[in-house]
Amino acid sequence: MRILLAEDEPMLANQIKSVLSTEGLAVDLAVDGAEAQFLGETEPYDVIVLDLGLPIRDGITVLKNLRAGGNDTPILILTARNDWTDRVDGLDAGADDYVTKPFHMAELSARVRAMIRRKAGKANPVFSRNEVSFDSRTNQVMVNNVPINLTAQEIAVLSYLFHNAGRLVSRTELSQHIYQYEGDRVSNTIAVFVNRLRKKLGSDLIETVRGRGYVIKAVA
Amino acid sequence: MTSLRTRAVTGGILLAVVTIVLALAGLGSFMNAQTQTRFTDLLRNRHSQAIVAAASYLDRPDKLGRTLGDPAYQRPFSGEYWQIQSPEGAVYRSPSLVKAALPAPTGSSTERRSIEYVGPTGNLVVGISQWIILDDGSRWHVQVASSLDQLEAELDAVRQSLLSAFAIVAFVGVLGALAQVAMILQPLNALRKDVSARWEGENGLEVESYPVEVAPLVTDINGLMDRNRDIIRRSRRQAADLAHAIKTPSAIMRNELGALENKGMPVQDALEALDRLDAQLKRSFARMRADGGENAVGVFTDLDAALGRMQRAFSALARNAEKEFSADYEPDLRVRMDQSDFEEVMGNLLDNALKWSEGRVLLTAKRSDDNSVIIMVADDGPGIPQEEIAQVTRSGHRLDVSKPGTGLGLAIASDLINAYGGDILLSRSEVLGGLSAVVRLPSSGSSSLDHG
Repeated sequence: MRILLAEDEPMLANQIKSVLSTEGLAVDLAVDGAEAQFLGETEPYDVIVLDLGLPIRDGITVLKNLRAGGNDTPILILTARNDWTDRVDGLDAGADDYVTKPFHMAELSARVRAMIRRKAGKANPVFSRNEVSFDSRTNQVMVNNVPINLTAQEIAVLSYLFHNAGRLVSRTELSQHIYQYEGDRVSNTIAVFVNRLRKKLGSDLIETVRGRGYVIKAVA
Repeated sequence: MTSLRTRAVTGGILLAVVTIVLALAGLGSFMNAQTQTRFTDLLRNRHSQAIVAAASYLDRPDKLGRTLGDPAYQRPFSGEYWQIQSPEGAVYRSPSLVKAALPAPTGSSTERRSIEYVGPTGNLVVGISQWIILDDGSRWHVQVASSLDQLEAELDAVRQSLLSAFAIVAFVGVLGALAQVAMILQPLNALRKDVSARWEGENGLEVESYPVEVAPLVTDINGLMDRNRDIIRRSRRQAADLAHAIKTPSAIMRNELGALENKGMPVQDALEALDRLDAQLKRSFARMRADGGENAVGVFTDLDAALGRMQRAFSALARNAEKEFSADYEPDLRVRMDQSDFEEVMGNLLDNALKWSEGRVLLTAKRSDDNSVIIMVADDGPGIPQEEIAQVTRSGHRLDVSKPGTGLGLAIASDLINAYGGDILLSRSEVLGGLSAVVRLPSSGSSSLDHG
């Protein structure tokens, strides 16, 4: 899953980015409103975390511009202001949720995950297919109720495929959603991750459609 | 504190008194002189009459009494007297003298002499006496006298009528002063009424509709109202900026501490201190904002817009929580409260309701008969036990720590509502069974503004 984080305070931005990255999310950072809008319009994000107090172009304007341009990516606003007016401005302009500063990192991460899940139209945070289950809240993967250790990249691939279960996902799409902007996108590394996943979780979970991509069949 | 009315009335009365005293003195002395002159003229006429009588009856002086037939000469001690002395020394007198006599002639001058002396009744009289030489060369002494009592009586009458005339003038003058004061002060009264009536208007007062003398004051009042709004706006902004400035470092500290905690470091005390700091900040800003609300002028919130915003925002939040949010409010409602303060109240109440509800939150708003608007937020959560309700709206009280938040929402809402002269009532919701918060806020008189 790929996240756009628009936050101008470098220290806070790095804290958020490092926490989300260890949870298997690819995070692009925008440090001002103009950059946030440009990235939001050009890259396929799964969630945008938008600070309202951005320089150059404020968060509300970015939000309105993105929505006016037909972008329906779930947007979580971050606000340092106490007043509800600020939050209501954001929600009214098309944000899906808000978190007020100062916040607990765990809460931010939980909100982001919940937004990803709602976007995918999945009510249950725990995905399972046959003997494999994936808890999107904790990134916990189990095979026959035995916990399995996965790397962040493996989790990223599995999570994206589970969230889009029943739909064919191309290698390009997959790489777009598991790598951040600066990262090197080599699509054959995707094949490497998929192979490792098959070894750890069984070969029938992820099916390959030759020349087109991967799919996890509709989950329970 | 000085009253313009008292000052104007006192000034008017003083002016009237001074005018009346001066007029009375001037007019009085003029009329005195007039009366004196008339008295003297009359006496001279009487003297001339006596001379004519003497000349006509010089052969038969005993007939003089019949010629000078004025009844005043007949009545004993009437105050009008004559006395004529013939060349032979015989003295003829008016019957009014009875047995008394006017003073005997002195000297032999034919000049007319006017003297004042004690008359036959012991009162002062004014007399005119003169030696005259008739055509036949005979010398007669003719004198008349008139009592000053009559003059005094006449002067009294003049003074009386003057006094009563001026009493009327003074009375009318004071009434006039009052009427004038009322008329002059009328624009000021209107201004006072306008200022309180348009308290909630945005555009201030219309300078053109006041007299030129009051217009600068109206301009100043407009300026003050603008300044007041501006100060509130600015202090809000500063408070918000301060919050912004403090919160980001606070978030960074919290994250660092969280990371340390994950590594097994004992940071609980530091985290609790940070919690207290954040709660205190939140509370202080809420208080600052409530204090601003009390003095805010010209503010109102259009509920169609504000509740519409709340409805859209909370529908999104309810969707996230997989709960149902519904709103039902009458159109065209307006409350006398700043919009951001109103949204703060509603945000806190709805947030609280959404947090505790099982699945449903309801928002309603309707006009109440007594110039207020009633807004209700209800949920189907556990509610608050009756005995704990008073605590919730008090500062810094948090009943249940099982849900996130500073637990200040209801207290903040309550402070703000009170600052605007409204009230909040918490009870068990009859519709949904959870907590019901009924907020009463003063309605903003939109219609009087639109038509006035």
